[in-house]
Amino acid sequence: MNLTRLTAVLAGLLAALLLAPSARAQALDRAGLIANLCGNASAMGEAASVLTGLAMSGDAADRAFAVPLARAVIDRKLACDDAGAVLTENGLDAVTRQPRAAAGEPLTPVLSLKNRATYEQVDAALALRAAPEASQRAAALKTLERRPALIPEGLLEAAAAAEPDAGLKGEIETLAQTAALTAADPAARIRALARIADNPSRRALTQVSALTADPAYAASPEFRAAVDDATVRIGRGIAVGDVLATAYNGLSFASILFMAAIGLAIIFGLMGVINLAQGELIMIGAYVTWLVQQGLRVVAPSLLDWYLVLAIPVAFFVTAAIGIALEASLLRHLYKRPLMSLLATWAVSLFLMNLVRVVFGTQNLQFETPFYVTGGVPVIGDFIFTWNRMFAILFAVVTLALTWGLVRRTPFGLNIRAVTQNRDMAACIGIPTRRVDMMAFGLGSGLAGLAGLALSPIYSVNPQMGQNFIIDAFMVVVLGGVGTIAGTVVAALGIGQINVLIEPLWGAVAAKVIVLLMIIAFLQWRPEGLFAVKGRRK
Amino acid sequence: MSLTALLVDGLTVRFGSFRALDDLSLAIDYGEVRAIIGPNGAGKTTLLDVISGITRPKQGRVLFDGAIDLTGLSEAAIARAGLRRKFQKPSVFEGLSVRQHIAIGADVGFRARLDAPALEDRIGEVLETVGLVDHSNRLAGELSHGQKQWLEIGMVLASDPKVLMLDEPVAGLTDEETERTAALVRALKRPDRAIVVVEHDMDFVERIADRVTVLHEGRTLFEGSMAHVRADAAVVEVYLGR
Amino acid sequence: MNRFGLITHTAPIVHLITLIVLAALLMAGLAGTEFALSRYLANAIGQLAAFAVLAISLDLIWGYLGILSLGHGLFFALGGYLMAMYLLKHSFEITGTVPDFLQFMGWKEFPFYWDGFEFFPYALAAAVVMTTLISGLFGYVSFRSRVGGVYFAIITQALVYVAMLLMFRNDTGFGGNNGMTGFTVLFGWPMGTSGMITALAVASLLVLAGVLAGCNGLVKSRFGALMLATRDDETRLRTMGYETLRLKLIVWCLSALIAMLAGMLYVPQVGIINPRVLSPELSLEIAVWVAIGGRGHLVGAVIGALLVNAVKFWLSFAAPEIWPFILSGLIVLVVLVFPNGLMDLAKFKLVRPMGPKRLASDMGEARP
Ligand SMILES: Nc1ncnc2c1ncn2[C@@H]1O[C@H](COP(=O)(O)OP(=O)(O)O)[C@@H](O)[C@H]1O
Ligand SMILES: [Mg+2]
Repeated sequence: MNLTRLTAVLAGLLAALLLAPSARAQALDRAGLIANLCGNASAMGEAASVLTGLAMSGDAADRAFAVPLARAVIDRKLACDDAGAVLTENGLDAVTRQPRAAAGEPLTPVLSLKNRATYEQVDAALALRAAPEASQRAAALKTLERRPALIPEGLLEAAAAAEPDAGLKGEIETLAQTAALTAADPAARIRALARIADNPSRRALTQVSALTADPAYAASPEFRAAVDDATVRIGRGIAVGDVLATAYNGLSFASILFMAAIGLAIIFGLMGVINLAQGELIMIGAYVTWLVQQGLRVVAPSLLDWYLVLAIPVAFFVTAAIGIALEASLLRHLYKRPLMSLLATWAVSLFLMNLVRVVFGTQNLQFETPFYVTGGVPVIGDFIFTWNRMFAILFAVVTLALTWGLVRRTPFGLNIRAVTQNRDMAACIGIPTRRVDMMAFGLGSGLAGLAGLALSPIYSVNPQMGQNFIIDAFMVVVLGGVGTIAGTVVAALGIGQINVLIEPLWGAVAAKVIVLLMIIAFLQWRPEGLFAVKGRRK
Repeated sequence: MSLTALLVDGLTVRFGSFRALDDLSLAIDYGEVRAIIGPNGAGKTTLLDVISGITRPKQGRVLFDGAIDLTGLSEAAIARAGLRRKFQKPSVFEGLSVRQHIAIGADVGFRARLDAPALEDRIGEVLETVGLVDHSNRLAGELSHGQKQWLEIGMVLASDPKVLMLDEPVAGLTDEETERTAALVRALKRPDRAIVVVEHDMDFVERIADRVTVLHEGRTLFEGSMAHVRADAAVVEVYLGR
Repeated sequence: MNRFGLITHTAPIVHLITLIVLAALLMAGLAGTEFALSRYLANAIGQLAAFAVLAISLDLIWGYLGILSLGHGLFFALGGYLMAMYLLKHSFEITGTVPDFLQFMGWKEFPFYWDGFEFFPYALAAAVVMTTLISGLFGYVSFRSRVGGVYFAIITQALVYVAMLLMFRNDTGFGGNNGMTGFTVLFGWPMGTSGMITALAVASLLVLAGVLAGCNGLVKSRFGALMLATRDDETRLRTMGYETLRLKLIVWCLSALIAMLAGMLYVPQVGIINPRVLSPELSLEIAVWVAIGGRGHLVGAVIGALLVNAVKFWLSFAAPEIWPFILSGLIVLVVLVFPNGLMDLAKFKLVRPMGPKRLASDMGEARP
């Protein structure tokens, strides 16, 4: 993780705590400020610097007091009279903010050319700090952006720390960096460079590499060295981030593939049947998850955030029940006719997909995003450790562990392995192979349901979604070999990573083409898959 | 022509860490009927698999006719060299008629090379030999188990093989059928042909075999005449039961 | 009785071929008279004939060789696309119509690989060469490594899926997701006229009859017996001295070529081709036609394709949304109750028995 960033934030918090009391100690002389605003050019300049100070570090109440003032001066909506001044926009006294009318012949202060720019800047600074609407703050930021050199040091950092809107916060930070980089003081610029290099990103790289055209780059060797150093560091950070991001995306894709394929692999190993309806079972798992969410909305809204967890048993058992029914009513009769069972399971897939389409419609389902799958932690470069992907990865790991335990450590698993290896022999020693088939089919289908649950926070959920995964899942099974968990894991990881590696280079379609060609080539070398035990051919 | 039809030389076949054949060597001559016996799992079928090219050995080689190494050849090339084999599990083409089987066996190639009358003669001859003349137009899928065994034998001998390998030709047959099969095997014996029979039925082996090789755990335990086999203490120990 | 002992009394296939030829002649004869079929009906017959050819191509390898391809749409689409290229280029030569997809892409002219497609013989040769190359290469690597059964079916399905994704891309110069349409001229004659529709339908029927006769000759020959032998027990045949790899490769390529031919017949009759013909569903549906008709029977494949598609055509007007349900019901029925499709009905004497009886258990299906 990024320690530097964390320390910076902590230091900032500490500084704010220490500074706050002292800032409050010197109470603002509101009447004096208004008097200066009504004064001559130099008094107005003084007033501007007071206002700037408020924007940076003043008391929140004073800042709120100051917000309309600069605007009023610019728009000539300030009427100075003997008793002070009135804001003519709303007819309030500038100091007390009580309604009153201007007395006598009020004067409206006129800004000098120099002061006008300052006041625009001050107004924007105040708005950025204190305007209630994000849009107003964004507009203020745009104004400030025009003259980065005039932005008082520290203003943007303070604004960014207090900004609740994430997007705007990012923009403020960028501007802060730009401002620091364009500062007049060379030392400040070098310090800014070091700070930027601490948080490498593509944005930072653009900013820093633009500096090679800066006159100072040619003139000052120190500046040049700082720029070059920052470029290298940022480049390295981005590269690391990209590698991590690719690996992370590949891992999450592999998790989904694994979840989609493991049930398929178990069933294939056991019965030699490829279940073409596996994709639809995944889809039904996702729909069940959605139904659980809708149910909670009605029954127990307080638990709504936990629907992803609560849906786990429901998704598993509903799809497992469908699988068991399928095995008992259909596939049982197709034992030893694997090609016909392909057609039969396709019929089931067609049926389920269209049934869901008729019942729920074709549109994508809307899912809540609970807090535990929202957002992520930015790590380095452009790599964000997102929670929704982490959810899928963890889910797959837990599923893997449980499936492995079930197959390796329970009597049921022992039966599955026995029937997978030698069905006739298993039957001879009294293993109820038909029951094992049925339960294993249920298990495989239930795992598909869980896959549907795991991918609902990442992918869109609709009646056709199963089709997107099923072919990749086949490839995993073909590559991994018949009925081995280890093979499925390795094949899912391999295909997941290869997909993610190729995609950014040549696109998703090319990734699929290349994966398929690689698998065909691989089968030349090992026709039985990665981990399969070779059986007697005749 | 060399006298040795098949020379099996230091053959090792492994399945995982299990050795189905373990440095096995043996020689089979032209003109003899060789029986290979041994308990279940001794490696008899595996040996035939290697000879016919279905299984690749880890080590060793199989020389045919003293010159041709079979271990690198494809199944089809081995068959075309003159070696034919009947499988342990009767393997016939359920969708083809009995005649078609013999035609396929007699004349190898996508297009027929023999002219029609010659082929007809050959088919008639073979059907006569295996006693399926009355069934020549039936589909193989409709035959009884014994008839399927004979059909497969007829199919492999239709090409006049130099080496004929029969894997358990009388398994599951009635006594009378066994009798006829024994007579058939004896009748197939020729000076320019080697016949290898894998079998469990001792009486059958006694009737057909010139020499017997006893396999045990992938190795030769004994080689000699059937009378000697029955007398050998080691064989009695592992195979015939004490 | 012939040399291989097959019974050769007038088989149903002869009746079927005669019937198809008669229908074609009748349609041709009645064209332009008041008894002529409606354009819609004539067009439907032509399309059905193309589908029947496609079904035969699959039956040849599945029914007679035991190899199930779930990617035959690939070769159908290949023929279709190359035919469409000919039609577009030819129409452009004559009428100057620039295809829509070129305009969408903002391209001024055809990409270079379209050169020559205005000549039909060139387009045909390109289709034959490409189909042979693709099927040959894929078949060789698959059969060489002895990939078969479910593995082969799944990989062919992946193949057609990947091809679909490729063709959905708009930058390939093959029409992208809109496909190719707007054909106006065929062999110098305007398309869409009653005469052209009838001519295409008659041609399709004649091609169907020819393909049927040819395939029938093949499966009744010695080579056909070897195909069945490969299906029933490939190792057995190999250990009899036959290179089954070559045999499978020959039949596989032949089957691909027939599917390609079906695609070339189909496209001018529907007037459009797009990547949806490459969807795995279509390829699976072909297998369903064959299964319903009865695999391992050419007559069955034709009847299956005609029946299923006739119902589908009709339902696509009456109630398109229930078609998937009917289709899945049909499949389950065939799979559970009539493993040999309509050929089982024939056994119940509802129809005259056709061809040698086949065992209901598994033709050429081995556990992987
Ligand atoms: N493909 C294979 N994979 C693993 N083990 C095998 C394979 N084929 C044979 N075996 C084993 O090799 C041993 C020898 O088998 P086999 O040659 O069939 O014996 P038999 O002498 O009864 O014919 C047996 O233990 C068998 O289980
Ligand atoms: Mg054996």
